[in-house]
Amino acid sequence: MTDSVYTQLLDLACGAFLLAAVVVLWLRQLSSIVRVFALQGVALAAVAALLGLHEDRLGLLAVAAGIGLLRAGALPRLMLRALTTGTPHRSHPHYQEDVSETRETQPLVNVAASLLSAALLTLLAYAVSRPLVELNPTPATRALPVGLAVVLIGFFTLVTRRRALAQMVGFLLLDNGITVTAFLAASGVPLIVELGVSFDVLLAVLVLQILTTRMRAAFGGTGIDDLRELRD
Amino acid sequence: MNGTMTATGTAAVTLQVALVAAGAPLLAGLMRQVRALLEGRAGPGVTQPFRDLRKLLRKEAVTPAGTGSAFRLGPLVLVATTAVVAALVPLASTATPVSGSADLILVVALLGLGTVALALAGLDTGTAFGGMGASREMTVAALVEPTILLAVFALSIPAGSTNLSAIVSGGIHDPVRLASPAGLLSTAALAVAVLAETGRLPVDNPATHLELTMVHEAMVLEYAGPDLALVELGSQMRLTVLLGLLASLSAPWGIATTASPAALVLALVLLALKVALLGAALAAAEVFWAKLRLFRVPELLAGSFLLALLAVTASYFLTGE
Amino acid sequence: MTHATTALLLTAPIVVPLATSAAYAASGLRDAKARAAGAAALGHRTPRQRGAAAPVATLVLRPGHGPATYGTTPAETADGPSYGGPGARAWPGTRPGGSPGGPGTGSDGIAGPDTGPGAPAWSRGRPAAPAGTGTGAGPAGRARPGRGPRTGAPGPVPRPLTGRLGLVSPAAILTCGAALACTVPDSGPVTAYGRLLRADALTVWMLLTVGAVACLACAANPAHLAHERTDEPAARRYHLLVHAFLAAMSAAVLAANLGVLWVAIEATTIVTAFLVGHRRTRASVEAAWKYVVICSAGIALAFLGTVLLYYAARQAGIPEAYALDWQTLAARADRLDPSVTRLATGLVVLGFGAKAGLAPLHAWLPDAHSQAPAPVSALMSGVLLSVAFAGLLRYKVIADAALGAGFTRTLLAGVAVVTLALAAALLLAQRDCKRMLAYSSMEHMSLIALGTAAGSPLALSAVLLHMAGHGLAKTVAFCASGHIARLCGTTRIGRIRGLLAHSPCLGTAFAAAVVALLGLPPFGLFASELGIARAGFLSGPRWALAAALVLMLAAFAALAARTARMLLGPPPGEDDEAEPVPLGADAGAPLVAGLAACAALGVTTGPLTRLLSEAGEIIGGH
Repeated sequence: MTDSVYTQLLDLACGAFLLAAVVVLWLRQLSSIVRVFALQGVALAAVAALLGLHEDRLGLLAVAAGIGLLRAGALPRLMLRALTTGTPHRSHPHYQEDVSETRETQPLVNVAASLLSAALLTLLAYAVSRPLVELNPTPATRALPVGLAVVLIGFFTLVTRRRALAQMVGFLLLDNGITVTAFLAASGVPLIVELGVSFDVLLAVLVLQILTTRMRAAFGGTGIDDLRELRD
Repeated sequence: MNGTMTATGTAAVTLQVALVAAGAPLLAGLMRQVRALLEGRAGPGVTQPFRDLRKLLRKEAVTPAGTGSAFRLGPLVLVATTAVVAALVPLASTATPVSGSADLILVVALLGLGTVALALAGLDTGTAFGGMGASREMTVAALVEPTILLAVFALSIPAGSTNLSAIVSGGIHDPVRLASPAGLLSTAALAVAVLAETGRLPVDNPATHLELTMVHEAMVLEYAGPDLALVELGSQMRLTVLLGLLASLSAPWGIATTASPAALVLALVLLALKVALLGAALAAAEVFWAKLRLFRVPELLAGSFLLALLAVTASYFLTGE
Repeated sequence: MTHATTALLLTAPIVVPLATSAAYAASGLRDAKARAAGAAALGHRTPRQRGAAAPVATLVLRPGHGPATYGTTPAETADGPSYGGPGARAWPGTRPGGSPGGPGTGSDGIAGPDTGPGAPAWSRGRPAAPAGTGTGAGPAGRARPGRGPRTGAPGPVPRPLTGRLGLVSPAAILTCGAALACTVPDSGPVTAYGRLLRADALTVWMLLTVGAVACLACAANPAHLAHERTDEPAARRYHLLVHAFLAAMSAAVLAANLGVLWVAIEATTIVTAFLVGHRRTRASVEAAWKYVVICSAGIALAFLGTVLLYYAARQAGIPEAYALDWQTLAARADRLDPSVTRLATGLVVLGFGAKAGLAPLHAWLPDAHSQAPAPVSALMSGVLLSVAFAGLLRYKVIADAALGAGFTRTLLAGVAVVTLALAAALLLAQRDCKRMLAYSSMEHMSLIALGTAAGSPLALSAVLLHMAGHGLAKTVAFCASGHIARLCGTTRIGRIRGLLAHSPCLGTAFAAAVVALLGLPPFGLFASELGIARAGFLSGPRWALAAALVLMLAAFAALAARTARMLLGPPPGEDDEAEPVPLGADAGAPLVAGLAACAALGVTTGPLTRLLSEAGEIIGGH
């Protein structure tokens, strides 16, 4: 693989990665959001695989495969399950589609403003990551702002979305952003840390999925705005 | 040498404008025909818009009572600005006498001028629909113009100039640029902006005459006769020019960069083909789309603005130095 | 100390709680089988239940609560992973008794005592003997010295294992901490497993704090569960998670690699999520959700900081294997790129600050602490916050060496003052007893942050002393608040009256704990707050300290006034009972022990003085 092709492919993968985060902000249907998140996982795995090919490190390719399985396979599946557990199946006689449960209807910041905020956040990420790029300018580190932008967009999603599942996706966007930052900056953290982090993320999503089910049982829905028992 | 160059260049500009002016009704007819076929209707034929224009031009000019010069000048300004844009934009050749002035900002300003002229005309009638249409049109325009500017600006970063000819010839010589994230994102943003600017689905339904959902049609509701013909022609030309611009920026192959007449002819044929293809694709897509509710339109446009902005940032921080 | 002993001492605090946790899990499986087998097992269990129920029943025996409520409940706690595990006798201070030459099958864990006279090290052997073989047939000679059979217990029935097994892992942590405390100040830091685990003075100090607080909290567990009327699987899950929580905290303290440190701290979040949501009420589900989301997101920022630090380290020429090793990073911090390190430090302060209850990501703290079961609140407030802050201290050493002390000082002082202001404001308007304690934790954490900002050796020693003192006092306060909640049926301050008259022992314990938290002598917090204030005015950011003192005064007044309101006055039901409700010895012992330890720390640090000053030097920079 020549350098220019590598750069080109890496840029494309990073562009797709960032675009997926933006599209998550754009969409309302929770199941589509999860699907876009899965696509982002594919882009993340592609970044890792490209770095592995470029540096001739087989280990990195294995890590890429693992990441792809986790972030494009296991996590989206878990989230889709969180979306459906506790609600009657479509074929159930009492099935009644609850639009507010399957869609992000009332985000704290409306979609248009969210998209403009995402634009600002991207610029912020670009400004913040200047010293990072200057430290060692290579094609990979030049794409570092993408990672930081996705971190910020994930945080924004977490703060402004009012559905449990959308918040989960926000958290995972944040995490994806950090992972891609690690890959772009230093070809990934050491294997033991990577394993630990992936395991923690998987468990965190499991915990959140179970809590979503409990929330549905206790509150009759998964709206975060219903959580107002505890406040000062 | 210089003389031939100027002559071919002038010919290129003339042919470009002529092709746009003559092809615009054909493009509209083609799109309607594609749509009709996909919907299972026979369709009126590709040349129907020509016949409509001819019919309208033969009618007596009527203006509503109480309208002023804005109403009468609106269609003229619309067609004139569009013709100037058609001359400036490197649709068929980048080596024309006016290519030095084919600045991105100028082009966007000209398009904006046409929109504003029509909106003023709509306001001038003093009717409820004219005002409503003008207000909606300006809302959309306010969101679309920055998107177009940003999207083309993203393309201009690798070229180092906001001159459209330079951008297009850069794309011809270095096709990698077009497949970079910046190129893809800005093309996507530009496509959405073109849809909104030309009043197509899902932003506006060009076929509707249902008052509550009209945007563009509400504005020109009071026109009749030759004025209406001009308005129709102006809108069709805008669609053609913008689709042509999109084609030039995203797939510039075949555009003449030298003053050779053969290359120019080939470029014109290719241009007609590209625009026809784009138009057919758009018409086919429109069959499957529904119009967005008006308050969802800003979302779409904010999204395309974001894409354009991402394209700009990406062209800085990915491949940029 | 040989290499094997070191490895053992460093592993035991992680592996023993994990093994205990696994024992509870295994007992669940075994129990399921037993249930399938039929009534035989049930009949076997019944007499034990009563034995367990009696000691903890004292508090419930009052009008309003039917005595029947606990008839069956303690069964869960009773039915622990079994009975007679050899080596289950483990009180702090005592060595684990064990099965000499037990079936050493090589599974990791501990059981038998090391026979070396001076070094109470754990020998590797069968873990959690109860888990593997605990069929109830083990030698039952585990009578706790000085405690006879309980009232109501039919004869000298051996108490169920649950209570004791629960104490194995805190005792292991404490013992390993003590063993390390004997050697580390003299022979320097020790490492194990290719520098994966490392113990220096700071580690040892934190290990001792974790062990001590965990002992108190785990001793309070059985009484708490008995009164909560927890059903059997839930109780088992509770124990399982508590011990996994202890393992994660020990791992966080012992980790030499900053990445592993992060993984361990995130693991504490995951493990405690279900403990916070233990009761499954609307409020606890809400608290658990907020807790997981805010903490995970906050700590993710810390990971981003760690990644950036790793990047800077790799660019500074440190090889991959050592680029997250704390010792290496601290030694070569001057070669790190300053601007990248600055960004990383900011993110880490934000991230670990979230876990340590510092602003701006503190919102989870009052909710989680008020909804978690009291012993878990005690663990979270008493040590989890400190463990997270200790993680932050590690980064501070690197940042100070790379950037000079000014950056972290300003950052921490700012965060501390904001947190203190928030805590003081919310304390003033507080109406819930457990939330009040939670905000008091925020107040103390911001004091700790302020002391760290001051940065002189005196301040840092005081900070570490403060962590330990706060851990002990807050544990007592939370455990007492759990008893209060059961006694009064509410945690709303407005509805709790005359606690001193109602239940003198409990009232006194709670009062003493709050006095300790207010920073009054003779408790350890008095000494540490004095130290922080002195050091701060000598060296540190004086503006921050002056602001902090004013805010602390407000917090002091609020805490004192609310507690006085709860403690004084006539008891609520004035006519029917004049007889005060006694606090059971089982419930009371941890409270007294905690207060005694806290007071002892206030008088002298005794043999730990050297450890404390060395730990202070470690975080004071090289």
